[in-house]
Amino acid sequence: MMDAPRPDHQLGDNLVEIRDLSVTFETGRGPVRALRNVNLDVPRGRILGIVGESGSGKSTVIWAMLRLLAENGAVTGGRIDFNGRDLLQLDADALRAFRGAQAGVVFQDPMTSQIPVKSYLQQFLDIAYRQKASRAEKIAHAIAMMRRVGIPDPEQRIAQFPHQFSGGMRQRTGIAMALLMHPDLVIADEPTTALDVTMEAQVIHLLRELQREFQTTMMIVSHNLGLVAELCDEIVVMYAGEVVERGDIQSVFANPSHPYTRALIDCDPARVLERTRILPTIPGELPNLRHPPRACVFVDRCPHAFARCREEKPRLNKADEGHVAACHLLDGVRPVMHAAAPAPAQDEVVPAIAGDVAPLVAVRNLAVSFQVRGPVAALLNPGLKTSIDILVDVSLDLKPGETLGLVGESGSGKTTLGRAMLGLVKAQAGSVTFKGRELIGLGEGELRPLRQNMAMMFQDPIGSLSPRQTVKSLILEPFDVHRPASGNRDALAVRLADMVNLPRDLLARYPHQLSGGQARRVGVARALALEPDLIIADEPTAGLDVSVQGDVLNLMRRLQTEHGLTYLIISHNLPVVRHISDRLAIMYLGRIIEMGDATAIFARPAHPYTRALVDGIPRPDPTQRRRLVSIEGEVPSIARRPQGCEFNARCPHATDLCRAEMPAQQTLGDGRMVRCHYPLID
Amino acid sequence: MCGGRLAAALTISRTPAPMWSYFVKRLGLSAVIVLCALLTLFLLLHLIPGDPARIALGPRATPEVIARYAEKMRLGEPILTQFWIYVTNALTGDLGADVFSNRPVLTIVLEVLPNTLVLAIVALAWAALIGIPLGCLSAVRPNSWFDRVTGLLSVATIAIPSFLVSIWSLLVFAVMLKWLPVIGAGDPGDYLDQAVHLILPAFAVGLGWVGYLARMVRASMLEVMSENYIRAARAFGLRERTVVFRYALKVAVLPTITLVGIGFSGLLSGAVFAEIVFTRPGAGKLIYDMVVNRNFPVVQGAVLIITALYVLITLAADLLVAWLDPRVRDSL
Repeated sequence: MMDAPRPDHQLGDNLVEIRDLSVTFETGRGPVRALRNVNLDVPRGRILGIVGESGSGKSTVIWAMLRLLAENGAVTGGRIDFNGRDLLQLDADALRAFRGAQAGVVFQDPMTSQIPVKSYLQQFLDIAYRQKASRAEKIAHAIAMMRRVGIPDPEQRIAQFPHQFSGGMRQRTGIAMALLMHPDLVIADEPTTALDVTMEAQVIHLLRELQREFQTTMMIVSHNLGLVAELCDEIVVMYAGEVVERGDIQSVFANPSHPYTRALIDCDPARVLERTRILPTIPGELPNLRHPPRACVFVDRCPHAFARCREEKPRLNKADEGHVAACHLLDGVRPVMHAAAPAPAQDEVVPAIAGDVAPLVAVRNLAVSFQVRGPVAALLNPGLKTSIDILVDVSLDLKPGETLGLVGESGSGKTTLGRAMLGLVKAQAGSVTFKGRELIGLGEGELRPLRQNMAMMFQDPIGSLSPRQTVKSLILEPFDVHRPASGNRDALAVRLADMVNLPRDLLARYPHQLSGGQARRVGVARALALEPDLIIADEPTAGLDVSVQGDVLNLMRRLQTEHGLTYLIISHNLPVVRHISDRLAIMYLGRIIEMGDATAIFARPAHPYTRALVDGIPRPDPTQRRRLVSIEGEVPSIARRPQGCEFNARCPHATDLCRAEMPAQQTLGDGRMVRCHYPLID
Repeated sequence: MCGGRLAAALTISRTPAPMWSYFVKRLGLSAVIVLCALLTLFLLLHLIPGDPARIALGPRATPEVIARYAEKMRLGEPILTQFWIYVTNALTGDLGADVFSNRPVLTIVLEVLPNTLVLAIVALAWAALIGIPLGCLSAVRPNSWFDRVTGLLSVATIAIPSFLVSIWSLLVFAVMLKWLPVIGAGDPGDYLDQAVHLILPAFAVGLGWVGYLARMVRASMLEVMSENYIRAARAFGLRERTVVFRYALKVAVLPTITLVGIGFSGLLSGAVFAEIVFTRPGAGKLIYDMVVNRNFPVVQGAVLIITALYVLITLAADLLVAWLDPRVRDSL
């Protein structure tokens, strides 16, 4: 691996040097000073990771470099030297020559960053317009580049359009576009955030290979410490528009010296390997960047703050060999970080769930399929399938008071299963019983009273709230629907807000005025309002910063013990669910392929797919980099299910039997259910 | 790269998604719509209480004429047979005859239809040539003085009714200044004369569309310009011209094409005000005259032909959109 600097790398040989960069956004409520005196270097031939949570300004740095800040944003000071030239002084022609040719960009979401009405061929040719080569040569080069990033049959596929590619293929092609002109610098903005775990691992691996092969310099912007630890040589940690720590990746992770860096690493759920019930969090909120603090930006959330921190802005002090941090503790007294680090995670006494308790919810052989074509199309093409199977033969039990984590990649059917259990999606076959009562086949009128006992927390916390209603009327909505005459509304709203730690003055606000974490709390309050027995939470932490997601999970955990709730937690994020789940169910293409005790599954996965998911999590530890991608390929389309075991094409252990026959469900020695011909454990 | 691979690369077709398959499906839908229109027009005559022949021929028809009509239309047969006859007649071009002159309806409609078609095409063409660039430039510099003036003028042209524009332009340019002819469509053989006669009606009909298209294109351009892929195109160093006209406009124009298609079809009968004011023979004026005279077969025939044209034009607009946007092709 590339942990040691290459011999030709000399100190001071930086491709990019950013000095005192300041950026301000004009808003209706006054200027927001998004970046203040940012200094950073990108050494030639290395990979720099910029890490921070939302509002840290990490993306603003790269948009300022590319001179593509939003209309209301402007650089108010500083310089950005690229190869010794200040990018902020370039005229329009020079800027265009820099973009795309000297610096290529990989975008966060290839779904929205690639124009839908142009084929990839046209998009490649458009980027290569300044290349002095014939059209045929340009096409050949683009095809070679697509082959290099792992697109099969690039000669045919280059003529296709973005919507005809899967998410992973789209991002690979995005990387090919960024590298097309052999730029000196590749900038990647959250390159894996829109991807599934197994795809993320593949893309990290690909970026690392390409960096070595093309000898490019890379800047990776990410909120994901695991990604940065896995991929980068250097790291810059940003907080509230300032650099708080930067240096060699090994040194920073071995000895994080800014309290914020330390807390960020502690909060990463992928770091805490043992199953814990309380996740560390960072209390407090980002400072208001309309009036940025004159002293240390982190002082209000810092457990070590002392008088000097409130008076004087810390300089970047040397923390260790090859890394610096903006903290007064390094200036004189060495910090004793471990003493007051965020509350150490500890195991709570978990109320034992007796084995023979009747399940609260029992799902048996549930099948759901969606109509994809109308009756006319079916008539015209008799061979065509008119429906696709989303869920196939799903069975599971939820015991009262337990938490089941339902994990799968996109298209695995996990959200559909949650909805089918609430009767929000029509099932074609099978049964769902709630407290012994069959739900399948009930009409809307019969389901309605039952829904008081089953609540759903929706995936998109802000999008699932009506933008025209106040928080108060939103959290009281369940009462309006089910119990219209339920006493003092104000008192009810305040009680619910207190229950989920939502500040009372937010009750009069509207959803768009809430932060992600606050919107989640509103979602929890709505789910909790009627004191249900079961809460189905769809991606409860998606889109939240690591310092906040622990907060939401801890709240859910506390409410579970207080109210005896049963949870079904649906997530693609294995590290998050494992901290809160008693049991896990892993889904692949609409089937549960492994189910059992969460700790046991995590320690020793039985299904090769589960193993791939567990291994796919990038660890925030640069000393434990993976050398190989755990699984190749992508999730097949549910419209074209593979023969035999549906995982066979991606499975390293697949045999002829796997290609011919679907494995039956079997129970292993530790009571675990697995659907595999050759489980990895007995 | 080896030679074979290169050759393969060069034989790639521009549109791999099945355009023909979309075309066949979309054509099938169009046929269904035309059939529905036929059924509606047929039933109209039979659903009105009273003797269909008397309704069709109007109050002044003599009993002999009514009897002859009833025999010709086979009004004694079962209604399904009648519908079958109606449909087969219509599809072979027999749309009945004028009550008064007994001339075939098809001939009567086809005499005036080209005038309307030319008027609609010219009116929309000049409106699009001016309106789309105006909207595009407004969106590139939102809230500039150019944008504000364009916005003001756009709203003004939308707000003024086209018959008012017709009358005023007639008064100013034809009556007072005497630059342009007052009425008619021009001498049938003389194209220059026809073109001169076209200027004022096309101006009057198209003016509102200039503003309408400018607002439409501006709104969708603004939306598209804030998309991620526009920022991405700039980040790849594409020329601003390419970004605006070949990226943003290509997406932003899609809803406008559909709108123009529907608007064009509407103009076939909707140009009636201009046709009346300028006493210009056309489909709108024909239908208006025949409704006033209660000449039912001509109205029925003209409406059917215009409906068929309407379907044809929206089909063309949809095909154009599908050709520009591969996602549409894959969605039907």
